[in-house]
Amino acid sequence: MATETDSRDSSLILLKQGAEARVFDSSFVGRRCVVKERFSKKYRHPTLDSKLTLRRLNAEARCVTKARKLGVCTPVLYAVDPMLHTLTFEYVEGPSVKDVFLEFGSRGVDKEYMDNIASQIGDAIGKLHDGGLVHGDLTTSNMLLRNGTNQLVLIDFGLSFTSTLPEDKAVDLYVLERAILSMHSLCGNVMDQILAAYRKSSKQWSSTLNKLAQVRQRGRKRTMIG
Amino acid sequence: MSSEIFCCDSYRFKVEAMKLFNINGTSLSLALYTDVTNSKELLESMQAGTLEPEVAFLNALLVPDIFPILAAAHKTLVAKSRDSLTTRTLHSELVYNYSGSKHITESLKRCGISDSTTYILAARFDATPDEIKAIEKLISGNEIDLEELGGRANQSQIQKHYKISASELGVSSIADAITCRIASRDAL
Repeated sequence: MATETDSRDSSLILLKQGAEARVFDSSFVGRRCVVKERFSKKYRHPTLDSKLTLRRLNAEARCVTKARKLGVCTPVLYAVDPMLHTLTFEYVEGPSVKDVFLEFGSRGVDKEYMDNIASQIGDAIGKLHDGGLVHGDLTTSNMLLRNGTNQLVLIDFGLSFTSTLPEDKAVDLYVLERAILSMHSLCGNVMDQILAAYRKSSKQWSSTLNKLAQVRQRGRKRTMIG
Repeated sequence: MSSEIFCCDSYRFKVEAMKLFNINGTSLSLALYTDVTNSKELLESMQAGTLEPEVAFLNALLVPDIFPILAAAHKTLVAKSRDSLTTRTLHSELVYNYSGSKHITESLKRCGISDSTTYILAARFDATPDEIKAIEKLISGNEIDLEELGGRANQSQIQKHYKISASELGVSSIADAITCRIASRDAL
Protein backbone atom coordinates (compact mmCIF):
# COMPACT_ATOMS: atom_id res chain seq x y z
CA MET A 1 0.00 0.00 0.00
CA ALA A 2 1.31 3.41 -0.90
CA THR A 3 0.40 4.94 2.44
CA GLU A 4 2.63 2.43 4.20
CA THR A 5 5.78 4.33 3.31
CA ASP A 6 4.21 7.77 3.10
CA SER A 7 3.16 8.05 6.69
CA ARG A 8 6.39 6.88 8.23
CA ASP A 9 9.92 8.08 8.35
CA SER A 10 12.26 6.10 6.19
CA SER A 11 14.30 3.94 8.54
CA LEU A 12 12.94 1.46 11.02
CA ILE A 13 15.21 -0.65 13.19
CA LEU A 14 13.67 -3.46 15.19
CA LEU A 15 14.37 -3.05 18.91
CA LYS A 16 12.12 -5.62 20.55
CA GLN A 17 9.56 -8.14 19.54
CA GLY A 18 6.90 -9.26 21.96
CA ALA A 19 3.75 -11.33 21.81
CA GLU A 20 1.49 -8.37 21.07
CA ALA A 21 3.70 -5.86 19.34
CA ARG A 22 7.00 -5.01 17.70
CA VAL A 23 8.99 -1.98 18.76
CA PHE A 24 11.14 -0.05 16.30
CA ASP A 25 13.69 2.73 16.55
CA SER A 26 12.92 5.46 14.03
CA SER A 27 12.58 9.20 13.67
CA PHE A 28 9.61 11.54 13.70
CA VAL A 29 9.87 15.00 12.14
CA GLY A 30 13.47 15.32 13.25
CA ARG A 31 13.35 13.65 16.64
CA ARG A 32 14.39 10.12 17.48
CA CYS A 33 11.34 8.03 18.25
CA VAL A 34 10.05 4.58 19.11
CA VAL A 35 7.34 3.04 16.95
CA LYS A 36 5.19 0.38 18.59
CA GLU A 37 3.30 -1.71 16.10
CA ARG A 38 0.56 -4.07 17.17
CA PHE A 39 0.50 -6.82 14.59
CA SER A 40 -2.47 -8.89 13.62
CA LYS A 41 -2.94 -12.37 14.96
CA LYS A 42 -3.55 -14.74 12.10
CA TYR A 43 -5.39 -17.22 14.30
CA ARG A 44 -8.15 -14.73 15.06
CA HIS A 45 -11.08 -13.95 12.86
CA PRO A 46 -10.03 -10.94 10.73
CA THR A 47 -12.93 -8.72 11.83
CA LEU A 48 -12.47 -9.50 15.49
CA ASP A 49 -8.71 -9.13 15.12
CA SER A 50 -8.83 -5.63 13.68
CA LYS A 51 -11.40 -4.54 16.26
CA LEU A 52 -9.32 -5.83 19.16
CA THR A 53 -6.09 -4.39 17.79
CA LEU A 54 -7.64 -0.99 17.27
CA ARG A 55 -9.34 -0.92 20.63
CA ARG A 56 -6.09 -1.79 22.42
CA LEU A 57 -4.16 0.75 20.40
CA ASN A 58 -6.57 3.52 21.40
CA ALA A 59 -6.72 2.32 24.99
CA GLU A 60 -2.95 2.51 25.27
CA ALA A 61 -2.88 6.03 23.82
CA ARG A 62 -5.56 7.10 26.29
CA CYS A 63 -3.80 5.59 29.29
CA VAL A 64 -0.45 7.16 28.41
CA THR A 65 -2.10 10.57 28.15
CA LYS A 66 -3.99 10.04 31.36
CA ALA A 67 -0.83 9.06 33.22
CA ARG A 68 0.84 12.29 32.11
CA LYS A 69 -2.15 14.29 33.28
CA LEU A 70 -1.77 12.68 36.68
CA GLY A 71 1.83 13.88 36.82
CA VAL A 72 3.53 10.57 36.04
CA CYS A 73 6.27 10.77 33.47
CA THR A 74 5.74 8.69 30.34
CA PRO A 75 7.27 9.02 26.89
CA VAL A 76 5.64 11.84 24.87
CA LEU A 77 3.11 10.43 22.42
CA TYR A 78 3.93 11.76 18.94
CA ALA A 79 1.36 10.02 16.75
CA VAL A 80 -1.31 7.35 16.63
CA ASP A 81 -1.96 5.57 13.35
CA PRO A 82 -5.15 3.50 13.35
CA MET A 83 -4.47 2.19 9.83
CA LEU A 84 -1.00 0.83 10.48
CA HIS A 85 -1.80 0.01 14.13
CA THR A 86 1.15 2.01 15.38
CA LEU A 87 1.91 4.34 18.24
CA THR A 88 4.88 6.69 17.91
CA PHE A 89 6.60 7.77 21.11
CA GLU A 90 9.51 9.89 22.22
CA TYR A 91 12.74 7.86 22.44
CA VAL A 92 13.79 7.98 26.08
CA GLU A 93 17.56 7.77 26.48
CA GLY A 94 18.53 5.85 29.58
CA PRO A 95 18.70 2.40 31.18
CA SER A 96 15.76 0.40 32.48
CA VAL A 97 15.34 0.02 36.23
CA LYS A 98 15.86 -3.70 35.60
CA ASP A 99 19.35 -3.11 34.21
CA VAL A 100 20.24 -0.77 37.06
CA PHE A 101 19.01 -3.23 39.70
CA LEU A 102 20.79 -6.15 38.05
CA GLU A 103 23.97 -4.14 38.20
CA PHE A 104 23.34 -3.41 41.87
CA GLY A 105 22.98 -7.18 42.29
CA SER A 106 26.32 -7.94 40.69
CA ARG A 107 28.41 -4.93 41.73
CA GLY A 108 26.85 -3.91 45.01
CA VAL A 109 24.05 -1.52 45.82
CA ASP A 110 24.40 2.25 45.55
CA LYS A 111 22.24 2.99 48.57
CA GLU A 112 21.40 6.59 47.77
CA TYR A 113 20.53 5.88 44.13
CA MET A 114 18.48 2.87 45.17
CA ASP A 115 16.47 4.95 47.67
CA ASN A 116 15.84 7.54 45.00
CA ILE A 117 14.61 4.98 42.46
CA ALA A 118 12.40 3.16 44.96
CA SER A 119 10.75 6.36 46.15
CA GLN A 120 10.15 7.51 42.58
CA ILE A 121 8.51 4.16 41.77
CA GLY A 122 6.24 4.24 44.83
CA ASP A 123 5.34 7.85 44.22
CA ALA A 124 4.48 7.26 40.55
CA ILE A 125 2.30 4.21 41.25
CA GLY A 126 0.53 6.11 44.04
CA LYS A 127 -0.31 8.94 41.64
CA LEU A 128 -1.59 6.53 38.99
CA HIS A 129 -3.75 4.62 41.46
CA ASP A 130 -5.23 7.72 43.06
CA GLY A 131 -6.14 8.91 39.59
CA GLY A 132 -7.93 5.62 38.96
CA LEU A 133 -5.38 4.22 36.53
CA VAL A 134 -3.94 0.72 36.90
CA HIS A 135 -0.77 0.05 34.91
CA GLY A 136 -1.37 -3.68 34.56
CA ASP A 137 2.22 -4.69 33.79
CA LEU A 138 4.46 -3.18 36.42
CA THR A 139 7.87 -4.76 36.03
CA THR A 140 11.30 -3.24 36.35
CA SER A 141 11.81 -3.54 32.59
CA ASN A 142 8.82 -1.26 32.03
CA MET A 143 10.50 1.53 33.98
CA LEU A 144 13.24 3.66 32.52
CA LEU A 145 15.58 6.18 34.12
CA ARG A 146 16.19 9.20 31.93
CA ASN A 147 19.89 9.92 31.39
CA GLY A 148 21.08 13.04 33.15
CA THR A 149 18.14 13.55 35.49
CA ASN A 150 17.47 9.93 36.55
CA GLN A 151 13.79 10.76 36.26
CA LEU A 152 11.59 7.67 36.32
CA VAL A 153 9.66 7.10 33.09
CA LEU A 154 6.93 4.48 32.98
CA ILE A 155 6.41 2.72 29.66
CA ASP A 156 4.14 0.10 28.10
CA PHE A 157 0.57 0.97 29.04
CA GLY A 158 -0.63 -1.82 26.75
CA LEU A 159 -2.33 -3.64 29.63
CA SER A 160 -3.50 -0.55 31.49
CA PHE A 161 -7.09 0.17 32.41
CA THR A 162 -9.03 2.53 34.59
CA SER A 163 -10.28 1.22 37.90
CA THR A 164 -10.81 2.48 41.40
CA LEU A 165 -11.10 -0.97 42.98
CA PRO A 166 -8.56 -1.73 45.73
CA GLU A 167 -8.43 -5.25 44.31
CA ASP A 168 -7.06 -4.07 40.93
CA LYS A 169 -4.56 -1.76 42.55
CA ALA A 170 -3.40 -4.46 44.95
CA VAL A 171 -2.87 -6.91 42.08
CA ASP A 172 -0.90 -4.19 40.27
CA LEU A 173 1.43 -3.92 43.27
CA TYR A 174 1.53 -7.69 43.71
CA VAL A 175 2.72 -8.21 40.12
CA LEU A 176 5.54 -5.75 40.79
CA GLU A 177 6.39 -7.46 44.07
CA ARG A 178 6.67 -10.85 42.41
CA ALA A 179 8.74 -9.42 39.58
CA ILE A 180 11.14 -7.75 41.98
CA LEU A 181 11.36 -10.80 44.22
CA SER A 182 12.30 -13.07 41.37
CA MET A 183 14.59 -10.69 39.46
CA HIS A 184 16.23 -8.63 42.14
CA SER A 185 16.52 -10.70 45.30
CA LEU A 186 20.11 -9.47 45.70
CA CYS A 187 18.98 -5.86 46.08
CA GLY A 188 17.50 -6.23 49.55
CA ASN A 189 13.93 -5.28 50.32
CA VAL A 190 13.28 -2.77 47.56
CA MET A 191 9.58 -3.53 47.70
CA ASP A 192 9.32 -2.28 51.28
CA GLN A 193 10.87 1.00 50.22
CA ILE A 194 8.51 1.24 47.26
CA LEU A 195 5.49 0.57 49.45
CA ALA A 196 6.66 3.17 51.98
CA ALA A 197 6.79 5.75 49.18
CA TYR A 198 3.42 4.52 47.91
CA ARG A 199 1.88 5.20 51.31
CA LYS A 200 3.11 8.75 51.26
CA SER A 201 1.90 9.34 47.73
CA SER A 202 -1.48 7.60 47.71
CA LYS A 203 -4.32 8.87 49.85
CA GLN A 204 -6.08 5.54 49.52
CA TRP A 205 -3.05 3.51 50.57
CA SER A 206 -4.68 1.74 53.45
CA SER A 207 -7.43 -0.10 51.59
CA THR A 208 -4.99 -1.02 48.80
CA LEU A 209 -2.35 -2.37 51.17
CA ASN A 210 -4.94 -4.34 53.15
CA LYS A 211 -6.04 -5.90 49.91
CA LEU A 212 -2.42 -6.55 48.98
CA ALA A 213 -2.07 -8.69 52.11
CA GLN A 214 -5.03 -10.77 50.96
CA VAL A 215 -3.72 -11.04 47.42
CA ARG A 216 -0.38 -12.30 48.74
CA GLN A 217 -2.23 -15.17 50.41
CA ARG A 218 -3.98 -16.31 47.31
CA GLY A 219 -1.97 -15.07 44.32
CA ARG A 220 -2.91 -12.86 41.43
CA LYS A 221 -5.99 -14.77 40.33
CA ARG A 222 -9.11 -14.68 42.40
CA THR A 223 -10.54 -18.03 43.39
CA MET A 224 -13.84 -18.45 41.68
CA ILE A 225 -15.87 -20.90 43.69
CA GLY A 226 -19.63 -20.96 43.72
CA MET B 1 14.69 11.80 1.50
CA SER B 2 16.01 13.00 4.77
CA SER B 3 13.81 12.78 7.81
CA GLU B 4 15.67 15.53 9.62
CA ILE B 5 14.24 18.96 10.15
CA PHE B 6 16.29 21.37 8.16
CA CYS B 7 16.28 25.04 7.55
CA CYS B 8 17.09 25.53 3.91
CA ASP B 9 20.19 27.70 3.84
CA SER B 10 19.34 29.49 0.63
CA TYR B 11 16.26 30.87 2.33
CA ARG B 12 17.90 31.56 5.63
CA PHE B 13 20.13 34.28 4.30
CA LYS B 14 17.27 36.37 3.04
CA VAL B 15 16.01 38.60 5.80
CA GLU B 16 12.32 38.11 5.35
CA ALA B 17 11.64 34.57 4.26
CA MET B 18 9.76 31.57 5.46
CA LYS B 19 11.60 28.73 7.13
CA LEU B 20 11.34 25.27 5.68
CA PHE B 21 10.78 22.04 7.59
CA ASN B 22 10.78 18.59 6.09
CA ILE B 23 8.05 16.14 6.99
CA ASN B 24 8.72 12.82 5.26
CA GLY B 25 9.58 14.48 2.00
CA THR B 26 6.92 17.18 2.04
CA SER B 27 8.05 20.62 3.07
CA LEU B 28 6.28 22.92 5.46
CA SER B 29 7.14 26.61 5.24
CA LEU B 30 6.57 28.70 8.33
CA ALA B 31 6.74 32.41 9.04
CA LEU B 32 5.86 34.38 12.15
CA TYR B 33 4.36 37.88 12.07
CA THR B 34 3.63 40.49 14.73
CA ASP B 35 1.60 43.68 14.45
CA VAL B 36 -0.50 42.30 11.61
CA THR B 37 -3.01 44.93 10.51
CA ASN B 38 -5.01 43.12 7.83
CA SER B 39 -6.21 39.99 9.62
CA LYS B 40 -9.80 40.93 8.82
CA GLU B 41 -9.11 40.82 5.08
CA LEU B 42 -7.07 37.65 5.41
CA LEU B 43 -9.91 35.98 7.25
CA GLU B 44 -12.50 37.13 4.74
CA SER B 45 -10.58 35.97 1.69
CA MET B 46 -9.82 32.69 3.41
CA GLN B 47 -13.48 32.10 4.21
CA ALA B 48 -14.45 33.04 0.67
CA GLY B 49 -11.90 30.55 -0.58
CA THR B 50 -10.13 33.18 -2.66
CA LEU B 51 -6.88 33.24 -0.71
CA GLU B 52 -4.12 32.75 -3.24
CA PRO B 53 -1.98 30.81 -2.51
CA GLU B 54 -3.81 28.78 0.12
CA VAL B 55 -2.17 29.31 3.53
CA ALA B 56 -2.85 28.22 7.10
CA PHE B 57 -2.97 31.09 9.60
CA LEU B 58 -2.55 30.11 13.23
CA ASN B 59 -3.10 32.09 16.38
CA ALA B 60 0.56 32.17 17.39
CA LEU B 61 -0.27 32.92 21.03
CA LEU B 62 -1.15 29.23 21.30
CA VAL B 63 2.13 28.07 19.74
CA PRO B 64 5.01 27.81 22.23
CA ASP B 65 7.23 25.74 19.93
CA ILE B 66 7.52 24.43 16.37
CA PHE B 67 7.42 20.74 17.29
CA PRO B 68 3.65 20.43 17.97
CA ILE B 69 3.05 22.22 14.65
CA LEU B 70 5.19 19.62 12.90
CA ALA B 71 3.31 16.81 14.66
CA ALA B 72 0.01 18.32 13.51
CA ALA B 73 1.43 18.73 10.00
CA HIS B 74 2.54 15.09 9.99
CA LYS B 75 -0.96 14.03 10.98
CA THR B 76 -2.43 16.26 8.28
CA LEU B 77 -0.22 14.74 5.56
CA VAL B 78 -1.07 11.19 6.63
CA ALA B 79 -4.79 12.03 6.42
CA LYS B 80 -4.24 13.67 3.04
CA SER B 81 -2.42 10.61 1.66
CA ARG B 82 -5.44 8.52 2.63
CA ASP B 83 -7.98 10.99 1.31
CA SER B 84 -9.46 11.28 4.77
CA LEU B 85 -9.27 14.99 5.50
CA THR B 86 -11.92 16.06 7.99
CA THR B 87 -12.04 19.70 6.90
CA ARG B 88 -12.34 21.19 3.44
CA THR B 89 -8.72 22.02 2.68
CA LEU B 90 -5.27 20.76 3.54
CA HIS B 91 -4.40 23.98 5.31
CA SER B 92 -7.53 24.24 7.41
CA GLU B 93 -6.86 20.64 8.39
CA LEU B 94 -3.52 21.76 9.85
CA VAL B 95 -5.26 24.32 12.06
CA TYR B 96 -7.90 21.79 13.06
CA ASN B 97 -5.28 19.17 13.91
CA TYR B 98 -3.23 21.65 15.90
CA SER B 99 -6.23 22.40 18.11
CA GLY B 100 -6.27 18.90 19.61
CA SER B 101 -10.06 19.09 19.69
CA LYS B 102 -12.73 17.41 17.59
CA HIS B 103 -14.91 20.49 17.34
CA ILE B 104 -14.09 21.93 13.92
CA THR B 105 -15.72 25.36 14.14
CA GLU B 106 -14.36 25.98 17.62
CA SER B 107 -10.89 24.77 16.59
CA LEU B 108 -10.70 27.10 13.63
CA LYS B 109 -11.94 30.00 15.76
CA ARG B 110 -9.49 29.50 18.59
CA CYS B 111 -6.40 28.21 16.80
CA GLY B 112 -7.00 30.12 13.60
CA ILE B 113 -7.23 33.89 13.32
CA SER B 114 -10.01 36.35 14.04
CA ASP B 115 -10.68 39.93 12.84
CA SER B 116 -8.51 41.35 15.56
CA THR B 117 -5.56 38.92 15.58
CA THR B 118 -2.23 40.70 15.29
CA TYR B 119 0.20 37.87 16.04
CA ILE B 120 0.10 35.17 13.35
CA LEU B 121 2.00 32.05 12.35
CA ALA B 122 1.61 31.38 8.62
CA ALA B 123 2.15 27.89 7.21
CA ARG B 124 2.11 26.37 3.76
CA PHE B 125 2.88 22.88 2.50
CA ASP B 126 5.24 22.53 -0.48
CA ALA B 127 5.45 26.25 -1.15
CA THR B 128 7.34 27.34 -4.25
CA PRO B 129 9.65 30.39 -4.02
CA ASP B 130 7.01 32.41 -5.88
CA GLU B 131 4.31 31.36 -3.46
CA ILE B 132 6.52 32.33 -0.53
CA LYS B 133 6.89 35.79 -2.00
CA ALA B 134 3.14 35.97 -2.53
CA ILE B 135 2.46 34.97 1.07
CA GLU B 136 4.81 37.64 2.34
CA LYS B 137 2.95 40.23 0.27
CA LEU B 138 -0.37 38.98 1.57
CA ILE B 139 0.36 39.71 5.23
CA SER B 140 0.92 43.27 6.40
CA GLY B 141 2.97 42.92 9.54
CA ASN B 142 6.52 42.47 10.84
CA GLU B 143 8.11 39.14 10.22
CA ILE B 144 10.08 37.93 13.22
CA ASP B 145 12.23 34.90 13.96
CA LEU B 146 10.50 31.62 14.87
CA GLU B 147 12.75 31.48 17.92
CA GLU B 148 10.49 34.09 19.48
CA LEU B 149 7.53 31.71 19.71
CA GLY B 150 8.47 30.47 23.17
CA GLY B 151 8.72 33.91 24.75
CA ARG B 152 5.58 35.29 23.17
CA ALA B 153 3.21 32.36 23.77
CA ASN B 154 0.34 32.88 26.18
CA GLN B 155 0.90 30.13 28.73
CA SER B 156 -2.38 30.50 30.61
CA GLN B 157 -4.41 30.59 27.39
CA ILE B 158 -2.63 27.44 26.21
CA GLN B 159 -3.25 25.67 29.52
CA LYS B 160 -6.91 26.60 29.36
CA HIS B 161 -7.42 25.60 25.75
CA TYR B 162 -5.64 22.25 26.01
CA LYS B 163 -6.72 21.62 29.61
CA ILE B 164 -3.17 21.16 30.86
CA SER B 165 -2.97 20.79 34.64
CA ALA B 166 -0.13 21.97 36.85
CA SER B 167 0.69 18.37 37.75
CA GLU B 168 1.24 17.55 34.09
CA LEU B 169 3.58 20.50 33.67
CA GLY B 170 5.59 19.06 36.54
CA VAL B 171 6.70 16.20 34.28
CA SER B 172 6.33 17.71 30.83
CA SER B 173 7.06 20.81 28.81
CA ILE B 174 4.03 22.68 27.56
CA ALA B 175 4.96 21.84 23.96
CA ASP B 176 5.11 18.11 24.72
CA ALA B 177 1.75 18.31 26.48
CA ILE B 178 0.24 19.85 23.34
CA THR B 179 1.90 17.21 21.14
CA CYS B 180 0.34 14.43 23.22
CA ARG B 181 -3.11 15.96 22.78
CA ILE B 182 -2.69 16.34 19.04
CA ALA B 183 -1.57 12.72 18.75
CA SER B 184 -4.20 11.18 21.01
CA ARG B 185 -7.24 13.21 19.94
CA ASP B 186 -8.77 10.52 17.74
CA ALA B 187 -8.12 7.81 20.30
CA LEU B 188 -10.22 9.52 22.95
